[in-house]
Amino acid sequence: MSTAIGSWADAGDEFSAPPEIIVNPDGTKTVITFRTNQDGKKVKITQKIREIKVEEKVHPLVALRKNWKKYGKEKNSPPGPDTSTTQLGEKVELKLGLSWKQVEKKEEEEKAQERASKIAVQTIKCRTCGGDHYTAKCPFKDTLGVSTETNQTTPEPSSTQDSSSSQPGRYVPRHLRPDAQGNVQSKEARDDSSTLRISQLNSFVDEDMIRNELLARFGPLQRVTVVRNKESGESRGFAYVTFATEEIAQKALDLLNGKGYHSLILHLEWSKKKKT
Amino acid sequence: MAMRPIKLMGHERSLTQVKYNREGDLLFSVAKDNAASIWFSSNGERLGTLEGHQGVIWSIDVDPETNLCATGGGDLAIKLWKVETGQCVFTWESPSPVRRVAFSSDGKRLLAIADQVMGHIGTISVYDLKTNESDFNNQDIKPSLIIETDQNNSKSNVANFTQDGKFIISGLDNGYVNKYDSNTGELIQSIQAHGIHTEEKNISITDIQFAPEDKSYFITSSKDKTATLIDVESFEILKVYKADAPMNTAAITPVKDFVILGGGQEARNVTTTAESQGKFEARFYHKIFEEEIGRVKGHFGPLNTVAVHPNGAGYASGGEDGFIRVHEFEKSYFDFLFDAERSEKAAASGNI
Repeated sequence: MSTAIGSWADAGDEFSAPPEIIVNPDGTKTVITFRTNQDGKKVKITQKIREIKVEEKVHPLVALRKNWKKYGKEKNSPPGPDTSTTQLGEKVELKLGLSWKQVEKKEEEEKAQERASKIAVQTIKCRTCGGDHYTAKCPFKDTLGVSTETNQTTPEPSSTQDSSSSQPGRYVPRHLRPDAQGNVQSKEARDDSSTLRISQLNSFVDEDMIRNELLARFGPLQRVTVVRNKESGESRGFAYVTFATEEIAQKALDLLNGKGYHSLILHLEWSKKKKT
Repeated sequence: MAMRPIKLMGHERSLTQVKYNREGDLLFSVAKDNAASIWFSSNGERLGTLEGHQGVIWSIDVDPETNLCATGGGDLAIKLWKVETGQCVFTWESPSPVRRVAFSSDGKRLLAIADQVMGHIGTISVYDLKTNESDFNNQDIKPSLIIETDQNNSKSNVANFTQDGKFIISGLDNGYVNKYDSNTGELIQSIQAHGIHTEEKNISITDIQFAPEDKSYFITSSKDKTATLIDVESFEILKVYKADAPMNTAAITPVKDFVILGGGQEARNVTTTAESQGKFEARFYHKIFEEEIGRVKGHFGPLNTVAVHPNGAGYASGGEDGFIRVHEFEKSYFDFLFDAERSEKAAASGNI
C-alpha cells in the first residue's frame, strides 16, 4: 500500500532522460539518473540498489481470499487501497513500561513550557531594548532604561502613571526634572556604587584639576562634583567622583587615601556606605 | 517505538464493532451507518461493503472458515452474508433491536441478543445454522433456544459461546456475568464482576472477549471504569484492571501477556471537553501484574471497540469518531518484559 500512497511523492519530479542501469558483478545495480532540482539545476543521482526477494508464506485460504472480487461500494474499484477510505495515519508512540505516566507527563510539561515561552515571545516586549523580557528585567536597564522610558512617555503623558514628572499642571522640583539628556536626577535612580567622596581638598581645587591631575590615571570619570558654598561659590573642601567601575574606585581609594595633595592630606571614602 | 497506523475511513458514523477473522487477514467492521465493511488487514484495502440493513448495525461476527458472517442491527434484523460475494443469504427477524451476534467456535450455531426495549424481555436466541453452501439461504426461521436474560430486571448486553460450545457467557447491564447452558438455557453460574471495584453508578458491561489461545478465560469491560479477567471453568475473577474512564471494550493479546482496554468519556459529554482530557486512548495493561504499561493515542472520540490480530502482530480500534485505526506492533512491543519476568527468565536460563 505504501507504493500506492507514496507514489505521488515521486510523481512531481521530471525525468529528462531514462535512467542508466549498470549491473555490478556483486549482484547489485547502479542506477544513474539526471533530474532538475528546485533551483533549476541539473543533478546527477547515483543509486546503488540491491534487490532482495522476500518470500512470505500465507495460509492457502488467505491467498484464496486475496483474489476475491470486490463488491458493495467497492464493486468497480481498481485493486489496491482507495485513498478516500484508507490512509496512513500519523505516527503514534507506544512506550511500554511502568514509567510511561511520568514520561508522558514530562513531555506534556515540556510542551506546555514551549507553548508558554512562545506566547511570552509574542506578547512580552521590553520597552527599553525591545527584547523578549519584562522591562524591569532588562539587562540594559541601567544604561538605556531611564532615558528611553522617559523619552517615550513625555510625548504621551496620558499613558504614564509611573512617572510623576510628566503629569501636566503639576509642579516638578528642579532636581526631579529631566536634564538635557532626559535623565531624571533622582537619588533612587542614581547608581552610587562606584562613587567616592573625597574630602580634605584644598579650596582652590576644582573639577578640572581632579579630572586632569589627581584622578587622571583612573579615568575616564563619569562624574566629578565639587561641593561649593551656594552664595560665595567657594569650595567646601570635598567632592564626589563617580568612576567607571567599582574596581577602579576601589583602586583609587587604596592608592590615594591618606596621600597629600596641595598641602593637605586627602581622605577618601565611599560616598554611600556599602552594603555588606 | 512509533507505529504508523492505517486509518480506515469507510464509515460515516461511529464504529460499533470491529472483528478479525480466524487468520486475521480480514477485518470486519460495523458502525452506526447501515453498511458493514470488510477490509484486508495488511494494507487497509476494502474488500467490500455489506448493504441491506436499514439503520445502525450493532454487531458483526464471522465464522471460523470465513464463509459466512452475521450482522445484527437496530432494524430488528439478523442478517447472514456470504463473505466472498457480499450477498445477504438470509435474514431473521428479531423482536427488538439486535445488540450482539456471535458464532460458536465450530461455526454451526449463531447467538443473537435482542435488546430489552419496546416491551420485549431481553433474550439471547440461538440459531442452528445450515453450513452447506446450498442451504445457506434455507435456514430455520425459529431459533433452537431462547434464553430470557431478565434477571432482576437487568438485560444482557453482550454474549459469546465458550470454546466447546457448551456454555454461553453473557455480560449484563447490572455488572453481573452469567453462564448459561447453551443447550438447555439453564443459568449455571452468576458472578458480580462490576460495580464492586469502584463507586461508579453505571456498571453496565460493554464487552466480552475470550482469550485467543484456548478461550478458557475472558475479559469483560464495563462503564464502571474497570475490566475484569474471569475464568470460564471456576467462574472466578482472576484479575481487575482499573482505568480512569468508562470502558467500552477490552481484548486479550496473544503472544504477549497484555490486555488492551478502550473507552473514554461518554460520547454525549465529548463536546464539552478537550481532546486531551477525554482519555481517548487505547490502554495497555499487563495481564498478570494488572499494571497499566502504555497508551496509544490517535482517536479523537472514545474507543467503542478493539480487536487484536489473532497472531498478536497488531490490533484494530474503532472509535466514536468514525475511524478505524489498524496498528502493527513493532519489535520493542515484543521485547518488553517486566523486571520480574526478566529476572525469572534469566534465572531459568541460568539453571539450565
